[in-house]
Amino acid sequence: MKVTILGAGPGGYVAAIRAAQLGAEVIVVEESEVGGTCLNRGCIPTKALVASAEVLDKAKKAKDFGLELSGEVSANIQKIIERKNKIVGIQVKGIRGLFKSWGVRILDGRGVITGPGKISVTLKDGGAEEIETDKIIIATGSRPAQIPIFPFDGEKILSSTDALNLEEIPKRLLVIGAGVIGCEFAFIYKEFGSEVTMVEMMPKAVSTEDEEISAVLERELKKKKIKLLTNIKMEKIEVKEDSVQAFLSDGKTIEADKVLVSIGRAMNSENLGLESIGVKTGQRGEIIANSRMETNVDGVYAAGDVTGGIMLAHLASKEGVVAAENAVGGDSAVNYDVVPAAIFTSPEIGSVGLREKQAVEKGLKVRIGRFQFRALGKAHAMGEIAGIVKLIADEESDKLLGAHIIGPHASDLVHEAALAIEKGLTARDIAHMIHAHPTLAEGIMEAAEDVHDSAIHMPKK
Amino acid sequence: MDPENLKYHKEHTWVNISGNKATIGITGYAQESLGDIVYIDLPELETSTEANTELTEIESTKATASVISPVTGSVVEVNEELSDAPEILNEDPYGKGWIAVIEVEEGADTNDLMDASDYEKYLEEEVKLK
Ligand SMILES: Cc1cc2nc3c(=O)[nH]c(=O)nc-3n(C[C@H](O)[C@H](O)[C@H](O)COP(=O)(O)OP(=O)(O)OC[C@H]3O[C@@H](n4cnc5c(N)ncnc54)[C@H](O)[C@@H]3O)c2cc1C
Repeated sequence: MKVTILGAGPGGYVAAIRAAQLGAEVIVVEESEVGGTCLNRGCIPTKALVASAEVLDKAKKAKDFGLELSGEVSANIQKIIERKNKIVGIQVKGIRGLFKSWGVRILDGRGVITGPGKISVTLKDGGAEEIETDKIIIATGSRPAQIPIFPFDGEKILSSTDALNLEEIPKRLLVIGAGVIGCEFAFIYKEFGSEVTMVEMMPKAVSTEDEEISAVLERELKKKKIKLLTNIKMEKIEVKEDSVQAFLSDGKTIEADKVLVSIGRAMNSENLGLESIGVKTGQRGEIIANSRMETNVDGVYAAGDVTGGIMLAHLASKEGVVAAENAVGGDSAVNYDVVPAAIFTSPEIGSVGLREKQAVEKGLKVRIGRFQFRALGKAHAMGEIAGIVKLIADEESDKLLGAHIIGPHASDLVHEAALAIEKGLTARDIAHMIHAHPTLAEGIMEAAEDVHDSAIHMPKK
Repeated sequence: MDPENLKYHKEHTWVNISGNKATIGITGYAQESLGDIVYIDLPELETSTEANTELTEIESTKATASVISPVTGSVVEVNEELSDAPEILNEDPYGKGWIAVIEVEEGADTNDLMDASDYEKYLEEEVKLK
């Protein structure tokens, strides 16, 4: 069985390894660098920057921890980017090493489907290769979407990729779109010293999260003095010699040194030769695939961002695994009900399952448990007390339906709840389990107790 | 400000009305039960607020709590100093810790407010027993 994969992002490279593990002969074609968006210009690079910002924040607070720091602590963006590039380099090597170990052949070049079972690859170092294959997995990912009337110029109008490679910290940064990526960068550059303003069309920041989580995040933005303007559209941007002037839908203007446009992602489904075999795409260019990652064409699968929907690296990888397993004759499917999501703002956000509003819209009767991190000794010891845990349980069965956490290490904490939802556990199950002390995970236990108004570290209601 | 001469709302805010302007803050009891205050979400100027509803929120190391507006009107001044030094709310709740000035809506009812001795009694009889 020969499996060929287009794209070596978290969708494609994971699919390649799984297919090889299952005995297939695997070729993966990558036109840029293995690891895709996630590793080269997404998850990992942003988290490297977040880590620098966190250390800076802690250093500024050294006094609160009883430490004497002499001299100024400040961000050196060149060194920060250097560190980021080093981290990325190590991971890229790691993936190439895994390919070698599992016998996956990597072709560095751009692949185009030319007919059933046929892929033509234009190699990076010149030349071409024609591949004949039994199965195809398309995992070509996505790229930053731009606003046609003010396209990226890499200088003053930046994509997220540009924002990961700046040579100077902008004095005034304007962020268009207060979604996940916009918010992460806002906190990063604010910490590095930029004056940051965000403009968002929707009424809330991170509007895909539970409303209470958005509200806490907005409070934290305010605390950091990051300005957030909601319900506002960017109408026009004028690029001047050394600044940009942005015109807003409420008639106001904002002057900034750089503008980061983080309004969403566009799918890489063009010029792939999809029409040559009749693969169906949707309105936004997403390849249409079912939960077994099958497209409408036999033997052709799609995984990751290119299929639209929720764009997260770990979901892309799961889809890659499922596509690979089915391609070699297995029977797998993705469970889209339990997809934990993490946002690396300060503090972090971790969420899984239904939001309160979604649960209510589904006609479910729910009980909510809430707990504030500031009631935990560990949070105080760490000096990170802001945030809440919110658990949503079914009123009748007590089964956990959703978990929404904003606070220190929320991205890790959410997994206990994710497992509970996946396995149909109840709020009482979580409350019943002993949680180690002192840990942030106690917040989950207390919130689970609070579902039945019996949290120990909360005053009587 | 002398706490003796202020009016009080049962949700532990004080108010000093002079003409159509009402300066408001939280009471000594409120700051004591909250413990160390670490943040106040200052209301924006021109926000309109209604008596008995949340004007803003305060975070302490123990809890987050609503500041309930004692009057109906529109915020015309806020104490910006609190944004960088929220601990003033603990140190001087009736003085430097004032939160905002509200222009009271014409005809708004302020009769429900207590004077200092009534508030004291209310604390003794109802609140502290809980
Ligand atoms: C700034 C930023 C931060 C992010 N942070 C997070 C995070 O913290 N957590 C998280 O879960 N997700 C995060 N994401 C999203 C995550 O990066 C994506 O969901 C993930 O990379 C999708 O994986 P993929 O394999 O589908 O596509 P991609 O990672 O985009 O990979 C597709 C690959 O295909 C290659 N390719 C495209 N066309 C061809 C072709 N014709 N021939 C050969 N190769 C081709 C591309 O070069 C690319 O390498 C972030 C994204 C961004 C932009």
